[in-house]
Amino acid sequence: MLILRSLDRLGPMHGYGIALHIQEMSDSVLQVEEGSLYPALQRMLIKGWVKAEWGQTENNRRARYYKLTPAGLKQLTEEVSEFTRVMEAITRVIEPALP
Amino acid sequence: MEGPGELWRRFLFLFGRSRFNREMEEELRFHLESRAERNRAEGMIGDEADCAARRRFGNAPLLEEKSREAWGWSGLDHLTQDVKFAIRSLRKNPFFVVVVILTLAFGIGVNTAIFSAVNALLLNPYPFPQPDRIVSVEARHTSGTNINTGYRDYLDWQQQNAVFETMAITPESRGYTLTGAGEPQRMTGGLTTAGFLRVLGVNPVLGRFFTGDEDKPGAAPVAVLTYATWRQRFGGDPAVLGRTMTLNARTFTVIGVLPRGFAFPGIETCDFFSALGESASMGRTQHQYGVVARLRAGVSVEQAQSDMSTIARRLEQQYPATNTGWGVKVQPIGAALAEETGTLVGVLFAAVGFVLLLACVNVSGLLLARASGRTKEIAIRSSLGAGRGRIVRQMLTETVLLSLSGGAVGILLAVWLMKVLRAAAPEELALDATLHLNPAVLAFTVAVSLLTGIVSGLAPAWSASGAEPNSVLKEDGNAWSRTRSRNRMMSWLVAGEVALSVILMAGAGLLMKSFALALDVDTGLRVEHVLTFALNLPGAKYSSEARVSAFYGDLLERLKSSAGVEAVAGVMNLPMTAGITGGSFQVEGRPKAPDWVDTLVEYNATTPGYFSAMGIPILRGRDFNAQDNGASLPVAIVNETLARQYFPNEDPIGHRYRDDYSGKWRTIVGVTASVQHEQPTKPPMPGVYAPHAQWPSNSMWVTVRGRGDAAQLTETARRAVRELDGDLPLLKIRTMREVVADSLTESRLMASLLSGFAVFALLLAAIGIYGIVDYSVRQRRREMGIRMALGATYGDVVALVVRKGALPAVAGVAVGVPLALAGAGVIRAMLYGTSPRDLTVFMGVPALLLLVAVGASYLPARRAAKVDSMAALRCE
Repeated sequence: MLILRSLDRLGPMHGYGIALHIQEMSDSVLQVEEGSLYPALQRMLIKGWVKAEWGQTENNRRARYYKLTPAGLKQLTEEVSEFTRVMEAITRVIEPALP
Repeated sequence: MEGPGELWRRFLFLFGRSRFNREMEEELRFHLESRAERNRAEGMIGDEADCAARRRFGNAPLLEEKSREAWGWSGLDHLTQDVKFAIRSLRKNPFFVVVVILTLAFGIGVNTAIFSAVNALLLNPYPFPQPDRIVSVEARHTSGTNINTGYRDYLDWQQQNAVFETMAITPESRGYTLTGAGEPQRMTGGLTTAGFLRVLGVNPVLGRFFTGDEDKPGAAPVAVLTYATWRQRFGGDPAVLGRTMTLNARTFTVIGVLPRGFAFPGIETCDFFSALGESASMGRTQHQYGVVARLRAGVSVEQAQSDMSTIARRLEQQYPATNTGWGVKVQPIGAALAEETGTLVGVLFAAVGFVLLLACVNVSGLLLARASGRTKEIAIRSSLGAGRGRIVRQMLTETVLLSLSGGAVGILLAVWLMKVLRAAAPEELALDATLHLNPAVLAFTVAVSLLTGIVSGLAPAWSASGAEPNSVLKEDGNAWSRTRSRNRMMSWLVAGEVALSVILMAGAGLLMKSFALALDVDTGLRVEHVLTFALNLPGAKYSSEARVSAFYGDLLERLKSSAGVEAVAGVMNLPMTAGITGGSFQVEGRPKAPDWVDTLVEYNATTPGYFSAMGIPILRGRDFNAQDNGASLPVAIVNETLARQYFPNEDPIGHRYRDDYSGKWRTIVGVTASVQHEQPTKPPMPGVYAPHAQWPSNSMWVTVRGRGDAAQLTETARRAVRELDGDLPLLKIRTMREVVADSLTESRLMASLLSGFAVFALLLAAIGIYGIVDYSVRQRRREMGIRMALGATYGDVVALVVRKGALPAVAGVAVGVPLALAGAGVIRAMLYGTSPRDLTVFMGVPALLLLVAVGASYLPARRAAKVDSMAALRCE
């Protein structure tokens, strides 16, 4: 979900960019092994949620850019709404009862 | 999830893989380098930046692999990888490989052979069309007696039933002498009824089978040849139909040839088939014939059973004297056979199952020991990112590879064993035609091999993969907790191995003891220096009783006066050949038994001098003499069993009984000791003997007792017969000792197979215990060194190690003995003169196994005790 959201916000990005973005957005709270991004990206490629293209970076290096597809967008919307629903439920449970 | 598109994608990936790998690698490198640059920008220097980037990234090769897995054939990929790796790692240890493969080969081989026998006997006995419609129809008496069917009953069944398409009598073998084509030759004819081929659904390849009209008395004799006879005797001549053969001096016209490979139990030795009709025994009391039938389409076995039961009840009312108590049992032909051989095959199957289990346990032990040497390798693999499942799978691949190789070698063993079984199995099982390697058997072998690999490999793989890599790599592979859990598993293996061996060896011990006792049993016969052979006088040449009597009289005279011969006699049914003629025994002046089966006794005929020639004492009265002939008073001698049963408080001599075959009253003139006629292990039946001169039969056994060796007697006998009739072959020439031994074929087969398994079990147990104890000693070298440095003596260490092997063995015995006792109950019926709780066996087997366990532990123990304590401590 985080990957899809990043691509949705910032447009096509390479893997490293996505890692940086997630790190920044979460204020380094979410510290995952950066490498685990790549198997996840490959799975999304297969499912057709993202597309990959080789391109040039600002420093003129070759990198693979990932782009969100309409199917990916739909998946993102679904995941976000599901996530929100669960979060709300949890919030309701852990909020102290009103006096 | 695996739609066709998915498969196609995976298929394409097979070709695009190298490009994928290149791109993936480039992508990851880009990531790492970018991160390192950033780190440098944040103030890290040189390597530090790279290391931090890598730490942050995680396990690169593993992630790369996982990405690849998402696309491709990870399963297949891993498999080829695993197999390659397994071959490489096994090649390093050829001795281990050979031991494991041989162990498994034996286990799998014997299972394959026995399975093929089961397959041939029970699962797939007949290659006939719609075999489920072929049933056996048996006469069954309420007393449980199961005898064959009488000819007249068969005719009634055939006429009255509404459930069978066809019914037939199974071929009865009869000996013929072929003359007029050079040397007289022996041929065997199968006498059957016209419907036999139709019941089986088989058609002749040439000509036809005989018809109902040709099956009637007085019809011209016809013969249907087997394929083999047609090829061998007539050179496969297509114009064979209409040609004639002179058999027993009668002319038979060939009217058909059977298809190649035609087989049915009991006909293996038949060279041709002919009509039974003329020579059938007509009585209802002569239960001689097996009956098979083909169900009408849509009729179930149950319907057939109820129809036949109705007919049997009707016959009971119609013929109360002969048919009271006789019912009919209809069952699928396979089930009928299984009933006879079921226990035998079941016991064999259980035995080979144990052998395989034992082989598995042994291999597990070996693998466990081997895994301990690989702890470091496995720790390194797991620290490189291999999950536990992955490591287990890799190790299982190795074991399965081993077990499949074992299976391949096992098939060779199985083929050889099948040959042995074919040769040793009783003829009526017809294993010759059906016991072969076939797809079903091969499938079984592959399945068993796979299963064996998994069963024997799972525990070692699981235990080996569970190690915590850090502790292993740091602590030099001697983490104590792990070693202890593995040691516990090894003790379990030893105990299991011993328990299985106890069961197998106890079973084998009981059967062997029975067999030895059966061989040694006092059969009541003189078996030394006695030669026996059979003659069958062709009916056309010896057409009258007088001529038959004259021939045998002449022959015996001639033999008696030959050099080296002490005594000569003839007998209709020789003991221990399972040839029995049954009849009723109705004593004059007593009320007739309501049911003739209750008075069933054994009928036999002998020439004078038979009892003394065979060493059977005459207890009272006299033997037959030359005056007991066709013209004199009909007389008989009864055996002791009959005398006790029918004349408990009086002397049987002087009483008369009605002879079923001649219808005359016979006067009892003597009582002899009883002999067993079937097998030494079966109790003798009540029996009566008539003088051969008063009840001549064309076929007879001749017994010759001499001083010299049997071979010399054979020559004497041949010469005597030849001088009387040049066309007459001598049949089944054997010494009496051989006759007794041959009657025990089945017990011998069981005893030798099981004792083979038992020896193997003992060997496996010895190897297994040795291997396991040796392993644990090597693990504890340092401990031993410390003990000795602290003052433990040589004896202390030896005792410590031996205990290691002996204690689980004791546990194994404690578990195995009760199980073996329970198992012995199952084979009770196969035992002779041996209790299923036989003390010798049940003391001897555990003692032997404990001895082996101690011996197998002693060798490693001695090695352990010789360890130089300082060296052991230093080098670790």
